[in-house]
Amino acid sequence: MARKMKSKAVKKVTKPGRKTSTKSFRPELAEAYKAWEKGPLRERLAPGEIQPQFRCYSGVLKEETKEEFCTGGGELVVKRLYTPLDLEGTDPIQDIGFPGQFPFTRGRDPLGYRAFRWPLSFYSGYGSSESANERYRALYAAGSNHIILALDLPTQNGYDSDHPMARGEVGKVGVALCTIPDMERVFNGLPLDRIHTGTVGNCIGPWAVAMFYTLGERFELDPAKMRVWIQNDPIKEYTGRGTYIFPPRVAVDLASDVVEYIRKYLPGWEPQYNCTTTMRWGGCTTSQEIGFGVANLVAYIEAAQKKGIPPEDFVPWINLHMTADNDFFEEVAKFRAVRRLWARVARERFHTDDPRVLALRLTIFTGGHRLTAQEPLNNIVRTTMHVLASILGGVESISTPAHDEALALPTFESTRLSQITKSILHDESLVGQTVDPLGGSYFVESLTNQLEEKGRECYEKVEAQGGAIVALEKGYYLREMAEGMYRYQKEVESGQRSIIGVNKYVLEKEVPIKLFEGDAEAERRQIERLNKVRRERDQSRAQKSLEKIRSIAESKAAGRDGNIVPAMIEAVKAHATVGEIFGLLREIFGEYRPPTII
Amino acid sequence: MAKKVRVLIAKPGLDGHETGAKLVSRALRDAGMEVIYTGPRQTPEMIVQAAVQEDVDLIGLSILSGAHKEFASRVIDLMKERGVENTPIVMGGIIPQEDVPALKEMGVKAVFGPGTSTEDIVEFLQKRLDLPAGR
Repeated sequence: MARKMKSKAVKKVTKPGRKTSTKSFRPELAEAYKAWEKGPLRERLAPGEIQPQFRCYSGVLKEETKEEFCTGGGELVVKRLYTPLDLEGTDPIQDIGFPGQFPFTRGRDPLGYRAFRWPLSFYSGYGSSESANERYRALYAAGSNHIILALDLPTQNGYDSDHPMARGEVGKVGVALCTIPDMERVFNGLPLDRIHTGTVGNCIGPWAVAMFYTLGERFELDPAKMRVWIQNDPIKEYTGRGTYIFPPRVAVDLASDVVEYIRKYLPGWEPQYNCTTTMRWGGCTTSQEIGFGVANLVAYIEAAQKKGIPPEDFVPWINLHMTADNDFFEEVAKFRAVRRLWARVARERFHTDDPRVLALRLTIFTGGHRLTAQEPLNNIVRTTMHVLASILGGVESISTPAHDEALALPTFESTRLSQITKSILHDESLVGQTVDPLGGSYFVESLTNQLEEKGRECYEKVEAQGGAIVALEKGYYLREMAEGMYRYQKEVESGQRSIIGVNKYVLEKEVPIKLFEGDAEAERRQIERLNKVRRERDQSRAQKSLEKIRSIAESKAAGRDGNIVPAMIEAVKAHATVGEIFGLLREIFGEYRPPTII
Repeated sequence: MAKKVRVLIAKPGLDGHETGAKLVSRALRDAGMEVIYTGPRQTPEMIVQAAVQEDVDLIGLSILSGAHKEFASRVIDLMKERGVENTPIVMGGIIPQEDVPALKEMGVKAVFGPGTSTEDIVEFLQKRLDLPAGR
């Protein structure tokens, strides 16, 4: 599994440019290590019976189970034992340092989780606006203060519920939102001034801002005082989920409109979550998740700079949205490594020592791609480990999929369980009582060094091509992901990689898949409502608002500056539909056609 | 030299989860078949049009959105209209067991669920559907 790493594994881990001299580095320890190899280790590996002192009733094998152990990401060899000798060249101040201080390896906050409470957040929403509303109210009543709105695919693609492409998909993976009354029904009775809410709208980012903004006004709140986040990261859609609409450059420009508008007028809002989760789920290696994530951040920050938003006015309000995969220590190290790499890259790139720019905030959606349809209860264990790795990696926010999500619509119980996991770990296992508890672990620090180094190589490969947007346009990201995914599948099929219940300890049982039955009635009702809104609105106001969007879009397409968000807000207020708005933008900007890379 | 077997792998609908479709495409290609992958966001019309145009020997549909019955029946109807109903059709994705009989009734030859190995898929196509790498 460890590709091209044989030579790296024997090489001592050092950072580029740092001098090392093997001779003088802790000679007594090196001696003691050799003595250990010649002593207990040699004895344990000696041919013949297992010696009595190593014996056990069960479990102990004569030989190691693999010739070579490597990280879950498949990139790094894992040695039998780590000692301070592995940290030669690692400076306890410059490289590991202190939380809240450059290079932020040990976290952004000097208090860590000692001054922290995990919000009960959950990504949900499906079916009709009424059923979503019912679920949200139940979650709120159970203490949830963070509600993430899931949208159906037609909405995310900018289609109305009655568009031919929407057939059979209305309300399937989230709520259908066509006009502002849909939004009002979803949030009916919820205290928007007391909850943190948001949505994964990416290519529809400016419209999503307009929907939440208008919702606030309808609920007689000052939108500027609400707490809303918009994922607003179109790059992820070309590499992951696939709800792209426009060519990448147009999409990134529209995303920057959101950044500009939110940073200027909506101080409580978060304008972007830069997502590497779906890239990793789609086949990226661990170091690619780090390096591509950093490259994508740089691309967005530069796009914001063009709008006059400096990094220090943008970075503190964004998150790198990563996943947590199965290899526990590798993932802990990944979070530490990406913070350090970001701090160093951002300092070089933006010529600043401002901690607002250099301290990276991490949001995790744990490894849904590792949850299995077989024996879904096993997923509770997997998710617990993903959450623990995230906490020990010092991240700021964690969301988890429900353990039964691959099979069926999550129940209230599974939703609640996935929400509460981090609180059990925090309040009962007490893992957050000291800051960065794994800091200084020879193994974790060594992995952190290696992942930072390899992550930087990945980042530099992207930059050498001209940055993230070019890498995307050229199909580089997709090729790398397809490669990784195929390799992973082959490893699973050959048994090189174990997945319990799938290729190891398999129960010969059918996988009981129960899909969410798309309620045809709900689809019909949604279309009826949409038609009613279309019929009863002030037509001239709606048309005028769409003309305004058209003129701004045309001016943007001609290369002039402009921000589309105010016109979007006006259109949403005028009851223009999502399909009308994006239909005309499709005419002006054109549609993205993906390269077919397999 | 024998002509290669041509396969169309298609993703109907808006769902963008392409991993399975891409994996299977790659595995079939490695098994010596010629694979045409449509990418996502295909309508049944686009899929059948591509199948006719490319003169394929097999159509594979990847569906994770739950709309498998609707898409299968629309694709099969259109295949009949275009006179290519003899081209075998298989499916993969998140498809409940209880829907499999109905799909087979429509004419779908096989449904490959989560966890199916690509080797099993290749073997099925080669042995059961008699689609060796070269025809």
